[in-house]
Amino acid sequence: MADPLALLTADAVRLQCTATDRFDAVRQAGELLVAMKAVEPDYVEAMIQRERLLSSFVGEGFAIPHGTDDARALVRRAALAFLQFPDGIDWEGQEVRACVAIAAAENEHVAVMSRLARVLMARDQAEELRTTTDPERVLELLMPQPDDVPQPQKETL
Amino acid sequence: MSTVNGKDVRRVVVACEAGMGSSVLLMTQLSRQLAPHGVTVDHSPVNRLDDDTADVVLCHTGLASRARQAAPNTPVLPFNMFMGDPAFARLEAAIKDGGPIDG
Repeated sequence: MADPLALLTADAVRLQCTATDRFDAVRQAGELLVAMKAVEPDYVEAMIQRERLLSSFVGEGFAIPHGTDDARALVRRAALAFLQFPDGIDWEGQEVRACVAIAAAENEHVAVMSRLARVLMARDQAEELRTTTDPERVLELLMPQPDDVPQPQKETL
Repeated sequence: MSTVNGKDVRRVVVACEAGMGSSVLLMTQLSRQLAPHGVTVDHSPVNRLDDDTADVVLCHTGLASRARQAAPNTPVLPFNMFMGDPAFARLEAAIKDGGPIDG
């Protein structure tokens, strides 16, 4: 299993960002993934294309921009980037204060996404992610926990 | 439109455009809800769906017609919100108590 620490690292966390609109935010997130050498430069355009097709807003002030299915070939290594926008961005009528950008070719990132899903359901943790000024706290909150991905209980025969 | 009884559902697939972001997020939420009923939840890009993929497909309203095209004999349940959409509670109730799932 991929090391979850390797997917989201301190250099991929940007707090106190500002963006002119949601496409600007997606571009910033994409350029961070490019700078981290996680994706080829064309992946940024695929992220914007994906965002035009369907909003990546998921609730609780979060969006999860990522590329299209075709853009998987542009992923060099699985990685996540976290960008906080304390002023909020209008995201097709919803307000977004944090983006978790995804570069993944397969299922390397499922554990971190599971953790994110649980954080979003625990509202105080979601609020902390939106507002913290400590990058280490972002890493801690998104660190996968053993029981994040439940296994179905098989019926005994 | 296709129908399946909730009692016969063993595998639910969440479809999204890339199968990379929102479907993964929703998959992990739903597996927590449905695992106790013996149901596995997986995710897939909408273009890779077919009728063998799942007993029920969930996808965002904006992708529902593509999903129905890809899996014409599988019920497709559209949703609008990634968290707390009423479609998820209806699905869970149908799986738990039995009852038709149309989509």
